[in-house]
Amino acid sequence: MKEETSRYLCPYCFTKFDTFEALKGHALTAHRGEAVPLPEGMIRLTVNGQAYEIQVQPEWTLNYLIHDIMGLTSPKMFCDRGACGSCTVIMDGRPILSCMTLAIECDGKTIETVEGIAEVGHPLIETYVKHHSMQCGYCTPGFVTTAKALLDRNPNPTEEEIREALAGNLCRCGTYPQHPKAIMEAAEILREKGE
Amino acid sequence: MYKVGADIPTMEFNEIGRRGIRRYDGHEKASGKALYTRDIHVPGMLYAKVLSSPHAHARIIKMDTSKAEALPGVRGVLRYDDPEIEGKTLTGSIVGPNRMAPDYAGWALKPVKTILGDEAYFEGQWVGVVVAADTEEIAAEALRLVDIEWEESPFILDGEEALQPDALILCPGAENNKVEDFRELIEKGDVEKGFKEADIIIELKAKRDAHLWAGAEMPSVIARWSGDKLEMWVHEQQPYLSKLILSEQLNIPMYKINTHSPYHGCSFGERDNPPNWHQNGINVLAVLLAKKTDKPVKFVLNRAETFYGFSGDDMVSYCKVGAKKDGTITAVEMKNIFDVLMCTPGIEHFIDNTRVPNLKCLGLTADVSKPPAWWCRCEQLPNCFCFTLVFDHVAQALGLDPTEVALKNDGCDGHDMGYLSRYKQEKGFSDRDSLRECIEAGRKAINWDEKWHPPGAKRLPNGRMHGMAFTWTHDWDDIRGTGSAAVMIQNDGSVSIIAQHSDIGVNPWTAYVQIVADELGVKYEDIEINPFDLNQGFALMSPDGSCNLGSNGYVVKKAAQRAKRMLLDLAAEKFDVKAHELDVKEGIIFERANPENKKTIAEVVNMATPMMNAAVIWTEPPVLAWAWHTQGLWSQAVETGRPRLCRQAHFIEVEVDTETGEVEVTKVVNANDVGKAISPETVEGQMYGGTYMGLGRAFTEEMVWDPKTGVLLNRNLLDYKYATMNDYPAADTVIVETGLGHGPYGSTGIGENTATVVPALLGPALYNAIGVRVDDFPITPAKVLKALGKTEEDKG
Repeated sequence: MKEETSRYLCPYCFTKFDTFEALKGHALTAHRGEAVPLPEGMIRLTVNGQAYEIQVQPEWTLNYLIHDIMGLTSPKMFCDRGACGSCTVIMDGRPILSCMTLAIECDGKTIETVEGIAEVGHPLIETYVKHHSMQCGYCTPGFVTTAKALLDRNPNPTEEEIREALAGNLCRCGTYPQHPKAIMEAAEILREKGE
Repeated sequence: MYKVGADIPTMEFNEIGRRGIRRYDGHEKASGKALYTRDIHVPGMLYAKVLSSPHAHARIIKMDTSKAEALPGVRGVLRYDDPEIEGKTLTGSIVGPNRMAPDYAGWALKPVKTILGDEAYFEGQWVGVVVAADTEEIAAEALRLVDIEWEESPFILDGEEALQPDALILCPGAENNKVEDFRELIEKGDVEKGFKEADIIIELKAKRDAHLWAGAEMPSVIARWSGDKLEMWVHEQQPYLSKLILSEQLNIPMYKINTHSPYHGCSFGERDNPPNWHQNGINVLAVLLAKKTDKPVKFVLNRAETFYGFSGDDMVSYCKVGAKKDGTITAVEMKNIFDVLMCTPGIEHFIDNTRVPNLKCLGLTADVSKPPAWWCRCEQLPNCFCFTLVFDHVAQALGLDPTEVALKNDGCDGHDMGYLSRYKQEKGFSDRDSLRECIEAGRKAINWDEKWHPPGAKRLPNGRMHGMAFTWTHDWDDIRGTGSAAVMIQNDGSVSIIAQHSDIGVNPWTAYVQIVADELGVKYEDIEINPFDLNQGFALMSPDGSCNLGSNGYVVKKAAQRAKRMLLDLAAEKFDVKAHELDVKEGIIFERANPENKKTIAEVVNMATPMMNAAVIWTEPPVLAWAWHTQGLWSQAVETGRPRLCRQAHFIEVEVDTETGEVEVTKVVNANDVGKAISPETVEGQMYGGTYMGLGRAFTEEMVWDPKTGVLLNRNLLDYKYATMNDYPAADTVIVETGLGHGPYGSTGIGENTATVVPALLGPALYNAIGVRVDDFPITPAKVLKALGKTEEDKG
């Protein structure tokens, strides 16, 4: 039986070659200077300002990657299916549900979690403490990330706009009235600082 | 020992009662650093999953687990017929109150107690097999590969049907479906005599459907063996009791179990039943799998699996009430039928809280094909449900203002207010009228005098009907329990509170630190508590029964007072004066007669240390004092010699759209006499937070079983709906402080009461709006339309 030909695949353009030497020659001439493409399952993303290059399985959710693999435990699993907002992270400026997002689709994305929001000294953290905007605290990171994304695009939100933005976040302890207070005060601090 | 009476403070309040104190756990929680059991990862950890019955009542005839066992990544399989698990039943402990006892252990009083057997008595029950695998997905896949031949049996979902004489018997070996309960008949006075004395007799029927805790963090445990030592991470309110039970059950000495209790994502009683299957069951399975695989095992339920129980107030109530024209109630008779568990009989708040002399309550509990039921913020739900509806029916039937009817009947165990006045005076309390104060504050906050009207009398300009209602009851004075803690002064003068304590969100640690700060004379920010480890030897009372502060406030207060005495004894030597001539404020020890003669605590304790290196000899033992306190007398319904003195009043205002049946809540006022608010923001949090839970229960929260299959249809948080930010307005929280609580500094419990009292209030509000009764909870738009005769069915 004839040996399988064209077994060497160019990782840049997927052209097939019979020998490794032929592939090498092609790569060096046709693709000289191009960045080495990522192997399958490898993604590059930025989380809280840190660059990651990481191999993921196709079934991993972004929540699993962030919470279980990277060890950033703030995005919490609560409802298991996109009903509660506790796993919210900010992706390219938008709050998204990390439990409903596949990690493998996040190549090239920039992500923020509460750990990152706290690290840069965002005023939301202290205004949340001040207004007791948490009880058991399990859902709190999801609220803070949603609020931070809101303030990034709307530095002066009304209470109505805040309530609308947070309508998808469940809190079983019922801390709801304290969130608009904390967010409006954080917005004021940011405006005073001119950020 | 516990003494009944007022707790009069002996020092000045600086931190206690102050607003604006930085919440102790706030930064950790807001910045995402707080760790919960679900977050913890132990090297080499496996994940466990257990099979749930797809049938409401079925038995395993044959089970083949060979394909599951052969699946790569599966590390351990335990079958119901394996020797480790066969015959293992849930158990309580010989130590502790009745509900922790072996006889009552198990499925919240259900008669069958197998942890993992071959028969399921409700859909979703764990049966057959549990597996441990490298990932949760592999474990789930393994369960899908288990071949089972089931034999299905008939089931019953309705309690009244289950109690019919000819009903099919659900529990093997039982004579009928009635669950025995020692509170089946409660009788005081003579109801027949009371009915004869009445001007009117009112009868009503009311219904409440099952609801759920639905806490944020899923039930979870991690078990890790190291030789014969067992390390556990638990999400439980009562880790000490849980450890005691596990020790007896699996014959592991208590000292070999090292338990960690990280942060807890809610509980509401869900994680507060150590002998029950969702706690003891999970623990036993995780521990046995960890033993079998010799690897750490994490067992976390998924959201669907957390619908494994319900609220203990799934009930039908038949009430008969006699009253005089002026609103004085002469007799109340009830028959209440519960599914699975009678959390409370329904009559007890009439005993605790009124002068009604004649009371009778028959409480029947039926075993049905539903999961176990137990307390769910809180067990007083049936008592509040019946109390609110009876009082409102009386007031409306007589055309009286319900707040006046409340005041007319306020009292205790058949006695009037004179009895309570005498008690207050004897026990050192001030003789204030708590209910009157709560009602006055609440009426003002909701503008009752201007807005309240007879039923069905007010249509608003927007076309909707306007309704208002009021209810009341006593405080949550079931502040009882036992705890211990130590207070230790570190060498730099900072202070540690040493004791395990499970936090479920009610901000207890801020309050403990406030108390220690004021009692010891140290700044709030110089005190810490490390509550995550049970093996440090001290454990504070678990956060159940609104008991956190009621017991633990006394514990930390006593420990701080003892530490202060030790500190001043030590200081006396350095000042060369008598200890009683010294005092401490804000971390500075000074001579009372000459405040300029002062030293910092650090200067005084610098030679008092628990440990130092071998090169130096230290001359003083550490300043460390521990204390223990037990509070209350552990009984329900009029604790002998300790009547409840504080009251609460709740008001609601609604608008009803009579075309769609929708009810919009426009205002809620909670007026709560908490005796003394140690942390006012925390008290308010329990009030507005409890209102959201209460309104969710009133409107949308219910578990729906398919009558044809017995399968629960809404096992997720999309179909089981609770309040979001936009569903209801924030409650107006009015704190009343009469000092009439039996807790530290005159305080009383607040954690459970609003969420428990508020749900039934929607019925009276709706009646006030439309003039038609819907005493069937939750009150959905469909039920409102039906009451108004506006469904298609009604139109014929």
